[in-house]
Amino acid sequence: MKRITSIVELYGIERTFGSGENKISILKGIDLSIDRGEFVALMGPSGSGKSTLLNILGCLDRPSRGTLRLFSRDISSVSEDELAEIRRLKLGFIFQSFNLIGRISVLKNVEMPMVLSGMPRDERRKRALDLLETLGMAHRIDFSPQSISGGERQRVAIARSLANDPEIIIADEPTGNLDTKNSLEVINILSDLNRGGKTIIMVTHNPETTKNCSRVIKLRDGRIMEGAS
Amino acid sequence: MKLDDMLEYVLGSLQADKRRSLMSSLGIIIGVVSIVAMLSVSEGLYSGVSERFSDMDVDLINVRPGTDMGPGGPGGPDDRPSSGPVDPAELSGKDVTLIENVVGVKEVYPLKSNRAKLSFRGDNASVSVIGVSPGNHNDLKDAIAKGRFLVGSDSTAAVLSYDLAVGYFRMDISPGNWITLYSEDKDRQLDLKVVGILKEDEDPSYGSDTGVYITHSAMEELLDVDGYSYSSIVVRAEDSSQVDPLAEEIDDDLARIHKDEGYSVEPTASRFESMLEVMNMIKYTLAAIGAISLIVGAIGISNVMTLTVRERIREIGIMKSIGATSREIKLLFLMDAGLLGLISSLVGIVLGSAVAGLVGSVAGLPSLVTVQSIMVGLSFGVLSTTIAGVYPASMAARLDPIEALRTE
Ligand SMILES: Nc1ncnc2c1ncn2[C@@H]1O[C@H](COP(=O)(O)OP(=O)(O)O)[C@@H](O)[C@H]1O
Ligand SMILES: [Mg+2]
Repeated sequence: MKRITSIVELYGIERTFGSGENKISILKGIDLSIDRGEFVALMGPSGSGKSTLLNILGCLDRPSRGTLRLFSRDISSVSEDELAEIRRLKLGFIFQSFNLIGRISVLKNVEMPMVLSGMPRDERRKRALDLLETLGMAHRIDFSPQSISGGERQRVAIARSLANDPEIIIADEPTGNLDTKNSLEVINILSDLNRGGKTIIMVTHNPETTKNCSRVIKLRDGRIMEGAS
Repeated sequence: MKLDDMLEYVLGSLQADKRRSLMSSLGIIIGVVSIVAMLSVSEGLYSGVSERFSDMDVDLINVRPGTDMGPGGPGGPDDRPSSGPVDPAELSGKDVTLIENVVGVKEVYPLKSNRAKLSFRGDNASVSVIGVSPGNHNDLKDAIAKGRFLVGSDSTAAVLSYDLAVGYFRMDISPGNWITLYSEDKDRQLDLKVVGILKEDEDPSYGSDTGVYITHSAMEELLDVDGYSYSSIVVRAEDSSQVDPLAEEIDDDLARIHKDEGYSVEPTASRFESMLEVMNMIKYTLAAIGAISLIVGAIGISNVMTLTVRERIREIGIMKSIGATSREIKLLFLMDAGLLGLISSLVGIVLGSAVAGLVGSVAGLPSLVTVQSIMVGLSFGVLSTTIAGVYPASMAARLDPIEALRTE
């Protein structure tokens, strides 16, 4: 029963960096499946491989070994362009350091994923405005991301991650650079999105941010300690 | 990503860093300016020269006395070794008769050219006076517009070029008017009655478009020299394709009477051809200098763009993480370069045309901005920048998104 609804499946995922004597193994055989509609927290000490795992899930990186299935499709051997397309249409990224483009406006940042997917001008403008409105950022649309606060930047980044209505939101320490109040708000937004049907995979250090999560996965030294399924 | 969105993105990035855009475009602007300016100036020179020579008769051979080469030396049609400095040959009626008897010669024009001051109703001007043997000149007889051509017995008659007769002096000169010529070095003066005017633009290539044609006897009177000799003998061949062998034969025949004297026998068209060759060489040398400056400009663009890619690594990482393909990133940077090249080239073309005009008016050279030089400037400008963008663009496309996002 469970198999059918899994949208992320990992079998024996390994990731090594370097070669020869300098070869280091960061992920040492990860088996994991995540169902549609889950809100998963990924925890573990610094350097345990959380970001490395998230990058593989997010199609930004490829595993050295093992099989990754997304949306019931083996993507171990798809082309770079297909990975880009999955990132563009099926995944939304939220980063600790926001990663907004500083030289363009808040509105244009939110429009960018839709520009990449070729959405018509009027349609994408309207959608970007709606998203920013929902996230309480309507008053900042013409601002540069450099001139707004950290909490506001992360709301813009969340709006951007939702632009192409992705199935999975991947968030790497989204509250890492935020104060308690803003962290709480961001977590509430993510919880709302999860209740609206989005699958969310989030790396976090703060146990308080996991109270709405359906599952907590603990990673240590490249291995999953608990919460694999 | 759609084309108009790409354009908007690239224009935005060009605008966001104006200093960079200006810096990288400067080299290209300079390159295009030099290409367009140089091509235009040399095109102007070229067309000026060809215009002057275009109506030149290709069936003419010029025999001239020379001082520094023996018969058949450089300038002559054959390669007998020069015998060093010699006296110039004095060309006389004997030479004319000799040349007239060479097979293949149609007409022979013994000429004596000199500058003189022309005075007409209080106006003075320095003009070119050409002494001719009227009976030989069927070409000038056919070119008469008003009045008649000279005859052998005319010692006080003159025929004028159209440009000298019309619009040159305050009052136009017509057949029947009297003019006065003053020799430049001696205080000789000669009153002449104008008997004919040549047709407009039908001046012979051995003459002048503001020339006064008089008989040799009138010329002798004006110059008052001991031992009157011709300054050149122009020979018209029966067949213009036989000009070179004919010149050689005339050269051989003249060698017999001018053993140790210098003279040259030269088809006029050959001078024209070598002149065009030189003009072509100048033109391409100048264009090459422009091309070199473009290459330097392109290297500059490549360097600045490489720096830009470094500066934008994070932005490239962001674009990739939200789904831009490597091909799109590459295309964006190539467009960045191409657009910069296009804008720089357009600026360069405008400035280059202005520089060409300025050089033209300051140096008194004719300059001609042709579609060809604009196209050459434009295509070289755009092409070199786009090529210059290839390396930085591929560098940007190859960036690993995770590494890129990690850079600060
Ligand atoms: N490209 C790489 N080359 C070499 N080592 C890397 C690379 N990427 C990550 N690492 C190493 O892998 C380990 C895990 O990194 P990461 O997944 O970022 O940990 P976490 O997010 O859990 O703190 C770290 O020790 C890091 O230095
Ligand atoms: Mg990390």
